[in-house]
Amino acid sequence: MNNMLKSLLGGIVAALIAGCATYPDDVTTRQAAEQMVLDAFAAAPEHLKRLQQDRSQQICSKVGQQQLTGEEAAEVVKLARAAIKYPVSGNIVGDWKTGDALAHDGAGDRIRDGKIEDRKENGGLCQNCHALAPGEINVGNVGPALTGYGKQRGNSEAVAKYTYEKIYNAWIYFPCSNMPRLGATGHLTPEQVAHMVAYLLDPQSPINK
Amino acid sequence: MLMEDNPGELWVDQGKDLFHAKRGPKNVSLEQCDFGLGTGKLDGAAARLPRYFSDTDRVEDLESRLLTCMTRLQGFDRDQLISSAISAPASKGSDIEALALYITSRSNGMKVNVSLDHQKEREMYKAGEYLFYRRSGQTDFGCVQCHGEAGKRIRLQDLIHMTSKAGAQEVASSWPAYRGSHYVVRTMQWRLNDCVWQMRLPDLKYATDYSIALTTFLNRQGNDALIQVPGFKR
Repeated sequence: MNNMLKSLLGGIVAALIAGCATYPDDVTTRQAAEQMVLDAFAAAPEHLKRLQQDRSQQICSKVGQQQLTGEEAAEVVKLARAAIKYPVSGNIVGDWKTGDALAHDGAGDRIRDGKIEDRKENGGLCQNCHALAPGEINVGNVGPALTGYGKQRGNSEAVAKYTYEKIYNAWIYFPCSNMPRLGATGHLTPEQVAHMVAYLLDPQSPINK
Repeated sequence: MLMEDNPGELWVDQGKDLFHAKRGPKNVSLEQCDFGLGTGKLDGAAARLPRYFSDTDRVEDLESRLLTCMTRLQGFDRDQLISSAISAPASKGSDIEALALYITSRSNGMKVNVSLDHQKEREMYKAGEYLFYRRSGQTDFGCVQCHGEAGKRIRLQDLIHMTSKAGAQEVASSWPAYRGSHYVVRTMQWRLNDCVWQMRLPDLKYATDYSIALTTFLNRQGNDALIQVPGFKR
């Protein structure tokens, strides 16, 4: 009896001690974590800007990848639509050979020792995550395969417009998808996006062979 | 298993020598350093990191704890330690890399066991979880964009599925690791730096709460994994 009482009391004491530590609420966690971001990076102000989230990034950072509410999804789409830009020339289908090179270029815009890597222009990053022309081995699979993209969809004006917008800002069609908003964040220029549209759609492009 | 042929083993002995040697302006060894289980007690200590330390009133991971002891006990200059903490590829490696590997190797065969008993450990864990999902920068990347699904690759590089128990366990049990393409031993802090670089974020400072929070989150998720270091990475 005495032993039972002891173990019972021990259990209560243990529960009380464990009870002292609690998980902070979401607002407190957010404040603490955002302060950690501010403290963790050494950079010039123009580079530190990259750490500030825009409204869409905030919405798209849900812990545990919880589903967006309808309102949140609509806001992300609206923001994406509002910020889209097209090439000055008005031509959203550029040169497929230039686009081919861009699609296979995974570099550009990285910062080391306070300096952005020295390049004429940023790569398109496609190959990092997508299968491209048939037979290419060194391709990622985080995103869907784009092999035969134009062959399957044709190269109508509507397809070209969709493809341009999808690359420029994927969140127009898929709010908060894993795909970077390559044009909208400034990683690529509208002209570069147009070249990649040509790479995806042109019947002569290796991706459609 | 690659363990027997893992060149990282060379750094274990180096780290052991460094640990016991009298060094720094104060000419003392690290034997008086408390890694969480009492001064000089190394067996199983790394398996429980990150954890709260009352002498600093902070949650520290292995690398930040090493900095604490190397500055407080041995008198080394913190900034100097940090500037040499991550070694150049194909170099002899840094003292901190060797020490981190030796100390973690003293938990080999033991289970990762990050407890969240202290309030500050819970705060650190929740912050790490938040940061894992936090998207920013030119690529809109958080950690989860590459590490949230099974069977994914960037080009030919396999990505660990860290939102699964098995993936988190791989992370929690295999650092420090010998990196084949760099010919040196790399630590968790190096791993985070390289991710952040690919994410197009600015230079991550060494051993800040940002890294400690992410490591707390991942290691806790990886509890019960059997530690086996040096790991071996491409």
